[in-house]
Formats: sequence, structure tokens, C-alpha cells
Amino acid sequence: MELEIRNICKNFGEKEVLKGVSFAASSGKAFGLLGRNGAGKTTSIRIIMNVFAQDQGEIFLDGKPIDYHTVKLGYLPEERGLYPKKKIIDQLLYFAQLNGMKRQDAVTSIDYWLERLKMTEHRNKRLDTLSKGNQQKIQLVTALAHDPQIIILDEPFSGLDPVNAMLLKDVVKEEISNGKIVLFSSHQMNYIEEFCDGIAILNGGQIVLCGDIVEIKHNYVRDKLAVRSADVKKIMQDQRIGGTMQENGELLIQLKSAEEKKEMMRLLTQTFDIDEIRVYEPSLNDIFVEYAGKQN
Amino acid sequence: MKQFGTIFQFEMKSYIKNKIFTGVTAALVLVIAVVMFFPRITEAFGGGKEEDASGGAAASAEADNQAVILLSLSGIENADLVGQCFKQTFPEYTVTVSDSSLDEIKDKIAAGEVECAFVMDSLTSYTYYVNNLSMYDHKTAAADEALSSLYRMDAMMKNGISAEAAGEILSAEITHETENMGKDQAKNFAYTYIMIFALYMVILLYGQMVASNVATEKSSRAMELLITSAKPVSMMFGKVMASCLAGFIQLILVFGSAALFYQLNKSYWSGIGMIASVFNMPIHLLVYMLVFFVLGFLIYAFLFGAIGSTVSKLEDINTAVMPLTMLFVAGFMIVMFSMTSGEVDNIGMLICSYVPFTSPMAMFTRIAMGTVPLYEVIISIAILVASVVAVGYAAAKIYRMGVLLYGTPPKLKAILKAVRG
Repeated sequence: MELEIRNICKNFGEKEVLKGVSFAASSGKAFGLLGRNGAGKTTSIRIIMNVFAQDQGEIFLDGKPIDYHTVKLGYLPEERGLYPKKKIIDQLLYFAQLNGMKRQDAVTSIDYWLERLKMTEHRNKRLDTLSKGNQQKIQLVTALAHDPQIIILDEPFSGLDPVNAMLLKDVVKEEISNGKIVLFSSHQMNYIEEFCDGIAILNGGQIVLCGDIVEIKHNYVRDKLAVRSADVKKIMQDQRIGGTMQENGELLIQLKSAEEKKEMMRLLTQTFDIDEIRVYEPSLNDIFVEYAGKQN
Repeated sequence: MKQFGTIFQFEMKSYIKNKIFTGVTAALVLVIAVVMFFPRITEAFGGGKEEDASGGAAASAEADNQAVILLSLSGIENADLVGQCFKQTFPEYTVTVSDSSLDEIKDKIAAGEVECAFVMDSLTSYTYYVNNLSMYDHKTAAADEALSSLYRMDAMMKNGISAEAAGEILSAEITHETENMGKDQAKNFAYTYIMIFALYMVILLYGQMVASNVATEKSSRAMELLITSAKPVSMMFGKVMASCLAGFIQLILVFGSAALFYQLNKSYWSGIGMIASVFNMPIHLLVYMLVFFVLGFLIYAFLFGAIGSTVSKLEDINTAVMPLTMLFVAGFMIVMFSMTSGEVDNIGMLICSYVPFTSPMAMFTRIAMGTVPLYEVIISIAILVASVVAVGYAAAKIYRMGVLLYGTPPKLKAILKAVRG
């Protein structure tokens, strides 16, 4: 399956929220939708979820316009919340039935997911008696119980302790290997790097970067050197070199261009006592800051 | 449609499971049971008391406790006759003729020894002394009547008419019959009042509940998920219909139990015509009641739901629904004032009975307490039905826009735009 978003535009009143957003996500892989607050992520997600219609553009599933009567979508919203005063099983059943399940199938599926997420003991409790992390796991059940083909997870890891985060990772990996289309939205780049093959970075309602993470990193301008050395201070004081100290103790040197690499390496190794020198591989975080940070 | 069913069921279940809802209903039924059984209970206990009182000691003790009326008759003729007359007029009091001075009489009243005093200046003039004049003190009226007939009797006898003839003249009674061509307002007032009040309570109560339900879903952010799982129109209609049914069930329970308890105690209520009239309400009025209840409920519930969707926090709901509540209360007031004044066909009521927001109450009152041509009723209901559809449609639009808006509530302009768009 392939979910393709083509040239989606959306205005709210005078405000242009999405200006031609396109990306594609395929089953068996996770896709990361990144962007700063207000970049248009939630609007994009809501359009994909058919909450409101786009002004322009189309959404395709396997090359055909998506039919919301047959395709099931699961959604974990960033703003979590269910009915705090109601029994957990009651509201899980409610949402599963709203998503088109028969009552009996819903019970079976919900019980499976509660077991899988180690929440069975809370089945008949009121939601507000649970801790925040556990409430979030309950909410995850609403996104997964009806066995959706497309799963959209907005900041799924925020608020989870490491053990629960681990559990969620396993679940997500499982879903990906079950051939689901998983759409991730997060500010926690380490999770994106861990799961996602493809990413799209939204900025000001436009996709500013889209593609495979490995390729993106590889094609990223390799104009920085990472240096480990006992002479770090001397290097920094050197007019020809400069550089900034990283938290991990490495010195990051900005080259004028990528071609300057060899020359700069020679200069460094000849002048100073160098332990390690390599071309700096940008992290997803760096890429995000560069692309999403630009104001346009 | 399936989603509507699921939502309707869920909302309905939460009403039934709501302890306040079930508690209030049970309490209402209980109160009605107590009221309806009250005459039977008091009679059961009262009967016992009478038996005790038949003992002679108790009876005389009761006589001692009787309140005293002092009568000062100094300087008027026919003093004996006046004394007799007062004793007959106030059989439940001990009437004592006294020669005490005015100050003494006043002291006695102040001390509570006697309840009141009539100081006669002449047969046609007296001063009534009492410590606290109660709202329900009709003694002067009774005395006036007794004295005037005494005076007339006296005057006629002086003019040579015999005592028997004078008595006959005075006691002549006029008989009359009333043939009512329309409605008997005295009889209809009670049930119309009860019905209008029930309509008022249910609409306000459930309207507010719909609004706060929507606002709760928004503030708890359950809406974020709901909106992706269900169509806003199904959500809105499911909620409103469920609350309509819940309100209806509550009404049926309360009035049904009242009717049932009345049937059980019918013989004990036979003396009170008003109660009987309530339970002998004509069937066609019940049908009108049903129609106006459902339509009136829907139009307000839709609006309350739409308003609920525009607020982000539960605290804001009261101020947001204020204009709507005001509108409704104003309509209620007009109807109530017209009802109590007896002028149910005044110009205000005429207008109100066609305005969809007031017609459920106003038209029902006019039907119940006046004579309304059928075509007027049909026009009023037709306007109401059309308005319910239009308001439902507009409310769904507002709801669609409102549910995902957080922060400052939308301006009226934005709301109108959403309705049109």
C-alpha cells in the first residue's frame, strides 16, 4: 500500500496553513512528518484523517483517491484526552464501535491490546484513576484496536517512562512489520531516526525537505569536520581554523566549502596533535534545525 | 447512521448511569408519592386523633385553648343582639363581652390573652384591634357582613316589617348557571401551569447539559479523537436526541408516577377539583404537549450544543449560554404573566406563539387556556418544524467549526460565516 499526499492546500480564513504539501508513505515502513509548532503538521494529519476537506490537492491510496468508507485509520492525537470519568472498557468500546467494529470483535480486540500493553488490570477502572503514562497507553488502544491500515501517531513517546517507551517501540515495530502504514510526528529526533525510513519536514505550510533519511544525510553538504584532540584550545585560537566546541568534547570546524576538506585536514594534522579527524555526519536534529528553523 | 446509533447509545447510557440523573428522578418520584399519598396518610392519623378527642376532658381542654375575641359594646343599643351575632359569626372563638377601658383591652391583646377586640361605636361602626394583622385575617369582613345584616334587620323591623319577613328578604338567594362556550380557565390553569413549568425546567436543564457535555469533550480533548472517528453531524444529533429521550423518559416517569399514585388515592382527592382537573387533562392536549415538547426541546438543544462547541473551557459555558437562557426565560415570563392575568390571547402571546423560540410554550398555553383556530396551530407548528430543521443544520455547521477551535471563542462573524459556508 502506498499513501500519497499530492499538493494539498488549506486556508483557514485569510491564513494559508498548507501551501501545496506532498509526500508519500508506504506500508511496512514508518514515515516521519516533522516540523515546528504551527508548521501545519496537525492540519495535514486532520486532512488525511478526513476531519476537514482540503481546498486543493488529493490523497491517494495505491494510486486511487482514498475511500474513507473502506480504509480504516488509527490516530493518536498529540493532545491526549478521553473521558476522564468513564470506565475504560466502556470508552474503548465506544471508540472501536465508532470506528466501525462490531461489539463482539471490539471486545476481543480491546482485550488483546490491553493485555499487550499490560493494562488488563485497569480494564474496569475509571480513566482518571490512572497515571498519565497509563492513560496514554489506553489512548493508544483507541488508535490500534480497530486494526487500521494507516496509523498516525502524533508524539507517541512524550510522557512515557523508558519501560513503556520500550513497550511502545516494540508495538510500533510490530505494526510496521505487519504491513501497516505508520505516520509519525514527533520532535524527538532520536525516535524518528530509529523508526522512520522516510521523512518530510514542514515549514510554514510547505515541505522543505522530503526523502529517505539515509540519502538525506548522505547528500547533506559535508562541509564540517569533527576533531578530537588534546590541543583543542590552540586550534580554536588559530585564525585560519576556528571552530566550536561540542558537548561530547569534539571540536566542530566549519569549512568554507566541501572541497576545502583535504587542505584543512592536512593543516590540522601537520600543525596539531590530533587524535581523530573525520567529516561530520549531520544528525537528524541538525538537519531539522537547519530546515525547520528557517523563517519564511 | 450507524455512528449516530453508537453515539446515541453511548450518550443514553451515560444518562442512565449518571447517579445525579437517576437520583433526581427517583427523588422526584418519591416527592410526588408523598404528596399524592398525603391525604390518605393524614386521614389515617387524623382519624385516630378524633377518637382521642371524644373523651370529655380533652374536649373541655380544647375549649379552654380557644382564642378569645373581646367585644366592647358600651353605649350602643341592641348590645345583646350584637353579642349573639358575634358568637354565631365566630363559632370557633370564645366571644367575651367586656367593659374594660380601651387601654386595658390593648394591654390584653399585647399580652396575648386575647387575640383581638372589636370596639363598637355604633351598630355600623367599630374599631378592630389586633396585635399582628395576618394576611389571612378575614374577621373584619365576617363582622362587617354580620353587622350589616343585623343593621338591615333592625332597620326593617323599625319600619314595621315582621322579623320573619325581614329574615326572608335578607336571606333571599340568587341562583345562577354558567354556560361556558370555550375553555374554563380556572380548571385549565393548573395543568397548563404544570406543563409549561415542566417544559421550562426540562429544556433549561437538558439544554445546559448538552452544552456542558460538548464543552467537557472539548476541554478533556476527547474531541481530538472523536472528531476523527465520527462525523460532527452524527455527534451533535446523537447527543441531542439522547438528551431529548432522557428528558422525555424523566418526564414520563415523573408524570406517570403522579398519575399512578393519583389513581391509587383518587377517593382521597375527590374534594379538590384542581387536582382532579390536572389528571383529567384532555388527551388532545397531551398530544400537543408532546409535539411542543419535542420540537421546543430540539430547537434549544441544538443551539445549546452549538454554543457548547464554541467554548474551550467548562468555566466559560455559563456566560456563553447566557443570551440563549435569557431569551428562553423572557419567553417563559411572557407566557406566565399572560397566564396569571388570564389574557392568554394578548398581542404579546399572539406574537410569541409564532416565534419558534417561544411558540412551544405560548401556543400550548393558548390552546390549553383559550380558543385557537386549528389553522393557527398548524401554522405555528409548521414554523417550528422548519426552524428546528434550519437550526439543526446551522448548529451542525457551527459545531463542525467550533469543536476544533481552542483559545478565544469565535466571533459572531466567524460563526455566521461557518453557517453560510
